Amino acid sequence: MTTRKTEIGGYPSPAEWAKDLNRRTVLKGGVALAGLSAIGVSCGSDAATEFTGAIGDAGGALTIGSNASDPAPQAGLAAVVGSFPNENVEVTINTLDHNTYQENINAILQAGEDDVLAWFAGFRNKFFADQGLLGDISDVWDQVDGLGAGFLAASTATDGKQYFMPTSYYTWAVNYSKSLFAEKGYSEPSNVDELLSLADDMASDGITPFVFANDGQWPIMGTFDVLNMRINGYDFHIDLMGGNHEWTDERVRNVFSTWESLLPYHQTGANGRTWQEGAAALETGECGMYLLGTFAASASEALAADMDFFNFPEIDPAIGAGALDAPIDGFQMIAEPKNAAAAKELLLHMSTATAQDAYLSEDPSVVASNSGANTSVYNDLQKKSAALASSATGISQFLDRDTIPDFAGECGNMFAEFIEDPSKVDSLLSDLEEKKVAIFADYS
Amino acid sequence: MTVKRWPRVLAHFFLIALAVVWLVPLVGMVFTSFRPYAETSIDGFFSWPDSMSFDNFRNAWDRGDMGQHFVVTIALVVPAVALTLLFSSMVAFAVSRFSWRFNIALLMLFTAGNLLPPQAIIQPLFQIYLRIPLPEIPFISNSGELRGSLIGLILINTAFQSGFCTFVLANYMKTLPKELNEAAMVDGASVWRQYWQIVMPLTRPALAALATLEFAWIYNDYFWAVALIQQGDDLPITSSLRNLSGEFFTDENVVAAGSLIVVLPTLIIYLILRRQFIGGLSLGGTKG
Repeated sequence: MTTRKTEIGGYPSPAEWAKDLNRRTVLKGGVALAGLSAIGVSCGSDAATEFTGAIGDAGGALTIGSNASDPAPQAGLAAVVGSFPNENVEVTINTLDHNTYQENINAILQAGEDDVLAWFAGFRNKFFADQGLLGDISDVWDQVDGLGAGFLAASTATDGKQYFMPTSYYTWAVNYSKSLFAEKGYSEPSNVDELLSLADDMASDGITPFVFANDGQWPIMGTFDVLNMRINGYDFHIDLMGGNHEWTDERVRNVFSTWESLLPYHQTGANGRTWQEGAAALETGECGMYLLGTFAASASEALAADMDFFNFPEIDPAIGAGALDAPIDGFQMIAEPKNAAAAKELLLHMSTATAQDAYLSEDPSVVASNSGANTSVYNDLQKKSAALASSATGISQFLDRDTIPDFAGECGNMFAEFIEDPSKVDSLLSDLEEKKVAIFADYS
Repeated sequence: MTVKRWPRVLAHFFLIALAVVWLVPLVGMVFTSFRPYAETSIDGFFSWPDSMSFDNFRNAWDRGDMGQHFVVTIALVVPAVALTLLFSSMVAFAVSRFSWRFNIALLMLFTAGNLLPPQAIIQPLFQIYLRIPLPEIPFISNSGELRGSLIGLILINTAFQSGFCTFVLANYMKTLPKELNEAAMVDGASVWRQYWQIVMPLTRPALAALATLEFAWIYNDYFWAVALIQQGDDLPITSSLRNLSGEFFTDENVVAAGSLIVVLPTLIIYLILRRQFIGGLSLGGTKG
């Protein structure tokens, strides 16, 4: 109770400031004094304080930090919470918009107000788990049923424990308008030569073959990802993202040569175009194809009804076309949650088909991670996404999730400059390699 | 005579061109806010409208939960402006009415503090705020510490705005005749009484001008709120506007409507207090 004295009487000494005050103690003191009931401290009921492996034993208050500011995902998460069978847990959802949330994730983790946080699988999760900022949920995974090995791997940190609960994913592929393909008699290409002749046909019909939009400098990372995985394979791509290959390597240089040869088929002025404007170009038939996540359909109802996609075709038959970007979304728990038992029960619930069915009933733009989820309600795009991902030989999370965030930003700058002036590629790549070495040194 | 007319024509031409450059985006925003996204995305923003409605405004108000965020904003701006004016008028009074060795140094400190970019101090400030506990009071300090609380936000806005206000108020108070204070002192008025009953009433025009400005600045603050508040519901209106954007898709027309709703209070306050605003500033500039 020394901290209590600190709070009430006068000025604490600098030595006391430097110490991380025991917040809970201070809170209890302060709250008791103010005559207010404590919120979110202990409940004093007989609820379990530790995860028992089943849902229904925990109680008390629980806060989820959510980045679902769009109406559909927001309603989806509310439905998941609504389907949580433990009524003794009072769940609050704290929503921040997706970009602010992402930029402030460090502050959110340090603040510790939210027990469970919406986040991304793979590297981005491991990044915080390795720093000790996340809570181990391996005991929850022991109870999980219906999540495949790929999801387990994407949820496991360097120490071999699980720190993530994957709930849904979406795929990146080449989107197109069904009506345009039918009208012009185009068909889905199965290798890069067919893709190029399709692009030539489109060009001679007066249609720009590829939408190219890069406002925010993330959308064309998808193009780099898929070209690198088609030319050098999945393992090389993941190693490159992990900082284990040089960007001046001949194999990376090849990716940019191929990209340069494809640039004439793309819209110009990509760096100033938002992806939404790009989606509009696909909708109006100004352009024929758009390499983007399936969220492209969210830009307009008309486009959603008319959109279909195909997997980016193989470039090298020895490597094939089995790898793709399919970012997995889900939830993680902070290192010291106020209510670990309830947090783990909710995470277990989120892994179930029941919870995911509830989510998808509100947001049909993604695919459930649990194999037991009800796929009969899927629309055509969801069915195709699920089939594509389940037949994939390697799934990456997208460049800005597969590497250190700072370095992803540098890649974004480099790609933007490259498409403005491809002749500068060699100096751009050696600059990027220098930045990679510096950034990876900071984090190792 | 014709020689003299040309510069005026040119000046007017320049002014009209400048006005157009300023008005096009603003009018474009107003225009867009009445149109559905599906229409502007296909036809472009500068197209003839097929349909116009208040749907975007209704949508922005509901989705952005703006009623709640306006309440937070009022609870932030009113005390912050009042405290800023109170504290800075005290410092201004001291440096302008009493000669003291550190007068200039103090004034320089306040003015220099004003030049410091907020980004430079956010990291240490965040860590300090994280370590200062508060009793958990709903709405005022939901988080139980200075970080994430309304009090923390009021404090940092007050601290950051005080520099500029001290500078303006000190300059204004210097123009008030010294004899007033001397007469009051002869009559036995205490320092507090000289401040509160002699100088403050005379400073009212400057205070009114600053109150208008400070209202707009603190109301428009985006940085502090985003950096220090982690609960979406506790954000003031300006920073909560971002909640209208989604992970990928953002309905820009709804954002335009939401921005218009947010900008209205500052516009209204400016229009009501415009005379005081302009009068106050020019009064300080011409006297003395």
